[in-house]
Amino acid sequence: MLTAPTLAQIESIVHDRIRAVLAERVSEVGRLSGTERLSATLGLSSLDLAFVVAELEAELGVDPFAKLVSITSVRSVADLVRAYQQALFPELQRGGEDHTIATAVKRAQTRRARRKRR
Amino acid sequence: MPQARKVALVSGGSRGLGAELVSGFLDRQYGVATLSLTKTAFITNMLRARKGRHFHWSQVDGRDHEALRAFVKEAGERLGRIDVLVNNAGIAMEGVLPTMRTRDIVEAVEVNLTAALVLAQACSRLMLRQGSGCIVNVSSVHAIRGHAGVAVYSATKAALDGLTRSLARELGPRQIRVNSVAPGYFDSEMVSDMAEEQKQRIARRTPLGRLARIDEVANAIHFLTSDQASFITGHTLVVDGGITC
Repeated sequence: MLTAPTLAQIESIVHDRIRAVLAERVSEVGRLSGTERLSATLGLSSLDLAFVVAELEAELGVDPFAKLVSITSVRSVADLVRAYQQALFPELQRGGEDHTIATAVKRAQTRRARRKRR
Repeated sequence: MPQARKVALVSGGSRGLGAELVSGFLDRQYGVATLSLTKTAFITNMLRARKGRHFHWSQVDGRDHEALRAFVKEAGERLGRIDVLVNNAGIAMEGVLPTMRTRDIVEAVEVNLTAALVLAQACSRLMLRQGSGCIVNVSSVHAIRGHAGVAVYSATKAALDGLTRSLARELGPRQIRVNSVAPGYFDSEMVSDMAEEQKQRIARRTPLGRLARIDEVANAIHFLTSDQASFITGHTLVVDGGITC
């Protein structure tokens, strides 16, 4: 990907990769909501997840699990999406539990705009 | 730049068994990527003869994990894919454990084991995406039989055999095979310091009555990476002239 993806694009890419793995087993794969458990709900094995991570590294150019996040903390589709969003938007990692994605994105955009003005 | 030619990555390809494997894979029409700590005459000649065609070399210290990962990435991009990884790089570490320096122990583990793990991790990611691949770890008969004076070396090589079995189970469902080759003593720089009398003693204890030739060890590795071994995974193939039987 030549330009940095947006948060929504990251979510869409991660969902697509998971759906591609599921499509190897079932003929019809529905939309993902994000709340699905990777193992318990979707039946993904550790190796399936490794495959998804390898594909995402090739597509997004980052591997959040090399240093940033432990793969064992990833339980749901949303956890996986969040790991990539945090890897590509480090601003999302700062702050406490009440630090929402929306405020982090706003802060990042302000910073970028400020940099542009310089 | 995707291409049909298979690609083998051989660690420690500048001399000895590694150089033999590099030549063997090139003869078998593979693209070859190899890394080593030093640029030997063999590497210089290969670079000159190949002019970069289907051959890639970089100077990499096996203890530098980031450099190892970068090498795999570079090799994958340059040659298009990685079908085979041979974890060949290793250092001999002799001496009884009670008097061995800690830094020598750590170095042996880093070069013989950790580097192999890092390379296997990086290459297996490419192999997962390709849906196929083959990894061969170069172990040793010291992983199978105990010998005084090589405890650390034995530990690293036995660990490679453990890695082989578990990784074969992990990656098998994605058609990636993982095996070990455990050579006995063979003519190489690693035995060049050995006294002639010691070599003769080993030969006498070997049912086939001699040390292995380097190509005999390389052939076992080529077999395991070939389609002829398509249903073999998680195996340690002992190539020792019968010394451990």
